[in-house]
Amino acid sequence: MQFDWPEIIRTIFSEQGAFVISLLILVTGAVLGYAVWRATRRLLYEAGVDEAVEGTPFERTTRSLGTSTIGLVSNLAALFVYVGSVLLALNVSQLFNTAIFWSRLTSFLPNLFVAIFALIVGLIAGDKAKLVVSERLRSVKVPEVGLLPELVKYSIFYLAALVALGQLNVAIEALLILLAAYTFGLVFFSGLAFWKLLAAAGAGFYLVLTQPYGIGDEVEIDDRRGIVQEVGVFVTHIENDGEEYIVPNQRVFQSGIVRVRE
Amino acid sequence: MSELRDLLDDVVADADALFLFSPSGSFYERFDDLDDAELVVVAPENAVDSDAFVELPIDFTDLQGRVRFGIEGAVDQGFVEEEAEVVCVADVFGEQADTITRVQASEFSRSGVYDLFVNSRAEPAVIRDVLEVAIGLGKKGQKGKPVGALFVVGDAGKVMNKSRPLSYNPFEKSHVHVGDPIVNVMLKEFSRLDGAFVISDAGKIVSAYRYLEPSAEGVDIPKGLGARHMAAGAITRDTNAIAIVLSESDGLVRGFKGGELILELDPEEY
Repeated sequence: MQFDWPEIIRTIFSEQGAFVISLLILVTGAVLGYAVWRATRRLLYEAGVDEAVEGTPFERTTRSLGTSTIGLVSNLAALFVYVGSVLLALNVSQLFNTAIFWSRLTSFLPNLFVAIFALIVGLIAGDKAKLVVSERLRSVKVPEVGLLPELVKYSIFYLAALVALGQLNVAIEALLILLAAYTFGLVFFSGLAFWKLLAAAGAGFYLVLTQPYGIGDEVEIDDRRGIVQEVGVFVTHIENDGEEYIVPNQRVFQSGIVRVRE
Repeated sequence: MSELRDLLDDVVADADALFLFSPSGSFYERFDDLDDAELVVVAPENAVDSDAFVELPIDFTDLQGRVRFGIEGAVDQGFVEEEAEVVCVADVFGEQADTITRVQASEFSRSGVYDLFVNSRAEPAVIRDVLEVAIGLGKKGQKGKPVGALFVVGDAGKVMNKSRPLSYNPFEKSHVHVGDPIVNVMLKEFSRLDGAFVISDAGKIVSAYRYLEPSAEGVDIPKGLGARHMAAGAITRDTNAIAIVLSESDGLVRGFKGGELILELDPEEY
């Protein structure tokens, strides 16, 4: 249902009344904007966002501009309310008689706001994810592994850009297809690469949960006989006279286990 | 002042290697282009990215323990010769390097303390975690009373076959690893049980309440230590495990490997 608010107000009050009400809307908008600014700041600080974004490039950029991520986001929220109230006031007072233009603009503004917000969140989340991943991989001293955090970062950037562009009604079908291809490739190739590990992990969960054999038991898997030294999610270590067999767990299901009891 | 400078010159003259103990980044860089001596960094972590680096698993409070560990580690990794003259720069009283000492690497009879951590079956981090539990237990005891404890680390399969349960194993079907803060509390609680803890190479706690029955033949540990230490020495001689013992009577933490007493620490100093 679409109400023609300016007309309704004009029928209830006079032409001057509509002008006063538009002034009132302006004042309320100013107060509300300030309240929104305060509330957003408080909320973000209490949620610990300031610590979470600490040190990300986005935060550093905003710092160099004399503000912070929280300041930017809360200002954005307040700005949204200000602009909204100004537009509403203009609409009610009908100083310009271009109703269609304004109604379009008012419906477009939330989208613009969401788009900017999605971009900010995406930029921060991407940098954070990169930090977390590279921290995890720090003990891995392989140069190629440095590619992985960057990949994660740009994937998140790409997603954020897609959301933002989608909000602005830009044609993103081609980009979506690219995303689908990328996701499919990722799932397909990692499935191809890791299915043996997945099988081992599946068997490993069974072994860990039910413990058909434990450390210290003598077992035989695939003609490898010895004392179990370690049962992990992926492999079982079996040791026999100075030889340690590291058996992938799915072998347990493929060939069964012989528990040696003398 | 020149006499003092001469004294220092005497200390550092013809040194083969310079050992920096936990140096700060700027301090390390001052020695970066040292030509006539090897530069070795000994620290809990390699913060300065030194090529020659020995990792300290625990915070030795006494300088001697630190120097011994550093030299044994450096000789073992081939950074210095066994006959090398070594100058050590360390912080003893404060945060900054305040002590310079000169030792000959061969002066130390090799105690194997580096070997205990690095060349054992169990992972060094696991041994360090177990040692920390033992030290914590030795410091506070169990509810204020001194307790003894015996941890057998590594080669768990063989240890399990050379021991028998005294009662139900509280860690049956559980998958807990040392180093987890909650698990450390559990270990402290269970330390009132008799018998030994068995911990696997990867740090999984396999069992508590184990009665060790290795053959104690030929185990030579210092006289005056009790049955717990004898059991620890014997199990490490019979298997490839190491044992960490907290003595109930004198409160010291001792490490055994290959049937020999390798390490002796006073928990009160940490």
